[in-house]
Amino acid sequence: MSSLEISHLSVSFGEKVILDDLSFSLKEGQIAALLGPSGCGKTTMLRSIAGLIKPNSGTIRIGKQLVSLSSLVMPSHKRKIGYVPQDGALFPHLNVAENIAFGLDKTLLTKDQISQTVKDMLLLIELQGFEKRMPSELSGGQQTRVALARALSIKPTIVLLDEPFSALDAELRGDLRSQVIELLRARNTTAILVTHDREEALVSADVVALMREGRIIQEGSPEDVYSLPISPAIAASTGEALLLEAAQSDDGSISYLFNNSLPPETSKTNGQVVIRPEEIMISRSISSNSAKGKIAKINYYGHDAMVTVKVKSQNVIVRIPGPFDFQVGEEVSLEHTGPMRFFPSN
Amino acid sequence: MQTTYSRRTHSSISALSKSARNQSASKLALRSAVGIVLFLSTVPMIYLFIRAAQKPFGQSVDLLFRAKTLQVLGTTAILVLAVVVLTLIFGVTLASALHFVRLPFRSILIIPTVLPLAIPSYVFTYTWIAFVPGFSGTFAAIFILTLSTLPYVILATLAGLRSVDESQIEVARSLGLSNYEIFFRVVLPQVKGHISAGVLLSALYTLSDFGAVSLLNVESLTVTIQNIYRASYDRGAAAVIALVLIAFSTIVVIIDDRVKNRTKAGEAVKAPTSKQVLIESKGTRLITLFILTSLFIVSIAIPFYVLITRFLDNRVTINWPDLLSASLSTLLVAAIGAAIALVLAAPLGILLSGRPDKFTRFAQRIITVGHGLPGVVVGLALVSVGSKLGVIYQTIFFLGFAYALLFLAKLVASINASLARVPSGVKDVATSLGANPWAVIKKVVAPIAAPGISLGTILVFLTAMKELPVTLMLRPTGLETLATEIWSSAAINRFNEAAPYALILVLIAALPTFLISRPDKADRMFVNESMGSEK
Repeated sequence: MSSLEISHLSVSFGEKVILDDLSFSLKEGQIAALLGPSGCGKTTMLRSIAGLIKPNSGTIRIGKQLVSLSSLVMPSHKRKIGYVPQDGALFPHLNVAENIAFGLDKTLLTKDQISQTVKDMLLLIELQGFEKRMPSELSGGQQTRVALARALSIKPTIVLLDEPFSALDAELRGDLRSQVIELLRARNTTAILVTHDREEALVSADVVALMREGRIIQEGSPEDVYSLPISPAIAASTGEALLLEAAQSDDGSISYLFNNSLPPETSKTNGQVVIRPEEIMISRSISSNSAKGKIAKINYYGHDAMVTVKVKSQNVIVRIPGPFDFQVGEEVSLEHTGPMRFFPSN
Repeated sequence: MQTTYSRRTHSSISALSKSARNQSASKLALRSAVGIVLFLSTVPMIYLFIRAAQKPFGQSVDLLFRAKTLQVLGTTAILVLAVVVLTLIFGVTLASALHFVRLPFRSILIIPTVLPLAIPSYVFTYTWIAFVPGFSGTFAAIFILTLSTLPYVILATLAGLRSVDESQIEVARSLGLSNYEIFFRVVLPQVKGHISAGVLLSALYTLSDFGAVSLLNVESLTVTIQNIYRASYDRGAAAVIALVLIAFSTIVVIIDDRVKNRTKAGEAVKAPTSKQVLIESKGTRLITLFILTSLFIVSIAIPFYVLITRFLDNRVTINWPDLLSASLSTLLVAAIGAAIALVLAAPLGILLSGRPDKFTRFAQRIITVGHGLPGVVVGLALVSVGSKLGVIYQTIFFLGFAYALLFLAKLVASINASLARVPSGVKDVATSLGANPWAVIKKVVAPIAAPGISLGTILVFLTAMKELPVTLMLRPTGLETLATEIWSSAAINRFNEAAPYALILVLIAALPTFLISRPDKADRMFVNESMGSEK
């Protein structure tokens, strides 16, 4: 397994800039999640690392090997990269064993070694006995697992996963995801997981990189990107976020829905405060530092619920763990307990 | 750039540039090969333009606007229009009936509707002349050409109908639409492109047909070209008329393109599991069966009845050695043609299988446009070019080469369609697993695309066996193929002598036709490539 270092990578197709001076690095054995809306360049970044696209400028280094320097690129087939595209892309004309053995060098390995590797891989993905099955005879989750085994069988420098779970239904998806991540961790694999599912990114990765319009605009540990977003928009992309109009005075104090104490004549900067729904306490008792409101809606999820409270014509969403006994129409008081994140306008 | 240029960096940079050079070298070789093929495939056109330009302009104008030419143009236009309208009506109706009506043995009923493809139009024509004495003229030609080209429209429409999602029909029904409304508002808009592709084939076939029209004494453009060429060897004049014919087929192709562009949105992907709802009405079923039976009688039963009775009447006088040698040379020349076509198409196919660039796409488009070129035109051009080539002219290899040029477009279309079946993710994965570009082609692309490409090659082989005008113009002196034997006997009404040759040709041709009429193959083969027109 190797580290990855991308610096100043730019890719454009004709006039359209896909990756814009992108830099990113990953330590050996780390798993990164690339999170962003579709069209932001996630797949292009992955394909550049895999050598399937020729960048316009910038460098990519895998381990100590320089694989891409401006438009000079090492061909994809020499990079030893495990690539798992969206649909798995199993070879439809080969059976499971042949798919897994595809990348194994028949001039270097004996037949026994190859079949042993295939066996080990099938054990790893818990599909023993599936050697002779054709891809069309596998379920979606099984196909993804075989695609992963095929990628891992060549002992890749890096594994690239391009939304491998997106086609699966929710339940299977969670299970398979944790299996796959566990597998990658057990083998100390450096990996990049492309996803547009924020939960998937936060659960799986050591490093979460948030992409917008061909750039990585924030990266860090899941905890950091969740709790220290660099902008309200970024906050919204990693989880539910409540954006409230706010103003900051010269002495640093902030006035917003939960604390309207600033005298109106002080000079101030307008902006927004970002609050996560779980950072608000809801109760029936009234304290001095709380805002009063009326419950407008309750979305019940079982393990918790999202309660919409109307405070001064503003909808405030609060996450509360179940079970609870609040009801729509009830008067409640809200208190902001979490960190204060103020973003000045512009 | 922040890169620190250590020694290691330098060595890896040189490794990078070396592999980049290797890649571009093999790509350059392939591109030059494609360039050569592109040039070869445009030789007929280039030649015709040069030849027509050499003729004094006044003479060309006179030739174009003399009463005779205008009359021929009129006849050709009537033929094409009538065949287009008739195949459109009957083809779409029959395909819809085969698709939507509950019929006994539904899955094999399609075979007799497709089988006429195995019967060359000149064989079909002569069986009808033998069956109905005095059978000739424009109406007879419309009758023959409609029946010969109906399979194109039926197959293309069926392919389209199969791609329509059944659940849409159920939704439409739940919204209160009658079957009639469902067909015109839900189904038809989605299959317009398919229908247009099928009608295009029948229009091009009609335009380029030479055998049927000349046996029926109908003078269309192809016959005129052949006559001018025969009678006067005035190749300039023949070239001018040939350009008119090309203009005609270009118009047809453009119209088809327009229709297809307007139906782009209709490329729905169908869930393979959906269950089909069939029309059970007794009246509809009876009418359908009646039409299918009539079609079977006129386009299969009668030709075969004539061929077999004539063959049996003739038992004593069959010249077995001639029959054998004609069969063998037909197979040989057609095989050479198919092989050359495959060799010519290969470099383009390889480039198309990777990430095709603009040049590759351009070459593919130009070559594909060539499928509108009538055999008479290609033959005319190659006779003139070939006569300057000395030894190779009038050999079976030059004839094979002519077949290859004539049918290259079909093969390229079929290669392109087969390659489109290879998912691009699969190629990427193979590359990432260490397969170099050649290994990707060998281990992944070829195995997946091979069945389609070999079927395409077989179709070129089949089509070359039935080809008439180019064979007549370019065959080596003394070489007789099944097609030329049939032609020379049938043209002077010696039907009995033609029967054994025709029977063998039809039987050989029936095999691949049977292959493509299998429902699972039919849709994938049909829409994109044309087959069968012997021109």
